[in-house]
Amino acid sequence: MELVVALGLIVFKVALLIAILLLLPLPLTWVERKIAGHIQQRMGPMRVGWHGLLQPVADGIKLLTKEDHIPTEADRFLFKLAPILALAPPFVVFVAIPFGESVSVLGNEITLYVSNMNVALLFVFAVIGLEVYGVIIGGWAANSKYAVLGSLRTCAQMISYEIPMGFAVIGVVMLAQSMSLLEIVRAQADVWNIVYQPIGFFVFFVAGLAEAQRIPFDLAEAEGDLGAGFHTEYSGIRFAFFMVSEYVIMLLVSVLTVILFFGGWNGVLIPLPPLLWFALKVAFFVYLFMWFRFTFPRYRYDQLMAIGWKVLLPLSMANIIITGIAFS
Amino acid sequence: MSRAQDMIGTWIGWTFFADLAKGLGLTFGYMFSKTVTMQYPDKEKWLPYSRYRGHHFLKRDEEGEIKCVACELCARICPCYCIEVVPYEDEKGNRRPIKFEIDTARCLFCGLCEDACPADAIALGQQYEFSSFSSRDLVIGRDDLLAKPGKAATGGGVVAARLNTENDVLVETNEPQGYNWWRNIRRR
Ligand code: SF4
Ligand code: SF4
Repeated sequence: MELVVALGLIVFKVALLIAILLLLPLPLTWVERKIAGHIQQRMGPMRVGWHGLLQPVADGIKLLTKEDHIPTEADRFLFKLAPILALAPPFVVFVAIPFGESVSVLGNEITLYVSNMNVALLFVFAVIGLEVYGVIIGGWAANSKYAVLGSLRTCAQMISYEIPMGFAVIGVVMLAQSMSLLEIVRAQADVWNIVYQPIGFFVFFVAGLAEAQRIPFDLAEAEGDLGAGFHTEYSGIRFAFFMVSEYVIMLLVSVLTVILFFGGWNGVLIPLPPLLWFALKVAFFVYLFMWFRFTFPRYRYDQLMAIGWKVLLPLSMANIIITGIAFS
Repeated sequence: MSRAQDMIGTWIGWTFFADLAKGLGLTFGYMFSKTVTMQYPDKEKWLPYSRYRGHHFLKRDEEGEIKCVACELCARICPCYCIEVVPYEDEKGNRRPIKFEIDTARCLFCGLCEDACPADAIALGQQYEFSSFSSRDLVIGRDDLLAKPGKAATGGGVVAARLNTENDVLVETNEPQGYNWWRNIRRR
């Protein structure tokens, strides 16, 4: 009986997580377009619903009803596989992410995470790394020069930014003496890691921007020179898959930043519910992502590589050494 | 000395991303400044100034008679040759146009006809919504020109409007003067 309840709870949690993650990109696209509009002194969507609130729904209907086009020269199997490969890893990662300690419902304590892995951080990085397969395969299968160029770029970018990203979190792991995200947040109950790890945060966030392929590192889909990069040939629902995956990764990087450097659900000064604190912090970082997008121009490809290997990598290594010396 | 200080200052600025922060500050300011979008045509509409050169109109004198004396000066000065005037003699013995046609498809809205007219009979008014599916519809005759709206008394404002698509697509306004659109533009 116990086992059935526990299993049912896990299934329920996973279903809820998937539902939230699938639905969250809808309001996020609206928010992004509103922010874009207001930064450029425009209004953004205004016509569908109150202040364009139903615009994402209209877009969704449009994407669903659009022709699902597969180029004749494309590798049909890989072409269909790629969006799923791009979509799945970001969802899988969220299994290891805690959103809080626990809440009590009807006298039962329910934990706000699906699983508390002791190697959660490692799991997160390993699974995010898989996302690059969707991009490579998508670009390759489309058999178009823009797509191939875009996926080559993305591939190189993701591989070179995963290294500083991985190094940047070592400092955090050293402080918390654990790889479990839950333990890392608990270790920040008094002082957030950002105080001890400003360099680590900087490297992690910049690498995260690159990992999520957001401006200023959106080389993969540089509209100006590549059409739309690896998803040039995609349309309809398959394109929507790539879009959703991009938004989920953006969320993921925000969530990880909050957990690793900004104390997770630990609040300061104002006593709010932990989950609300967590959501507010994540919302701030999501806003930061969008704000960056409409402020900065895109980096050139060689600059991108130079930043990754010549700036972020040495910085992250220096961060490890400094942390090691200071907290040994 | 000061040059070296400047250099050091620039370097310190770069280290702390002063330039990026400045850009972010600018866009943040813009984010909360007023928008300049005009929700034309189904919510707002811009009213032209009185100096605006829109659709032509023909004037009447105090007795309600058309002012034009069919001297054909406007037709002569028009750089596009788009005015055609045919004179006739009315019951009172005055010279009047029996045919007065402007081909607005060719007109470049220079306003020379308005300047040339000795009888102050023709002018360019405030109407600017007369697109059409056929260039033949853009040839406007005498009676239509008499019915066109005259020059705007005031202008430059954005007023509430409504798109009416029932029989003819047209934009209806219901306010005399709205907010000043130009004021909303943030300049720096
Ligand atoms: S505005 Fe200029 S182009 Fe138009 S009818 Fe008058 S003179 Fe001709
Ligand atoms: S509108 Fe003026 S210029 Fe033209 S024919 Fe009439 S009186 Fe002459």
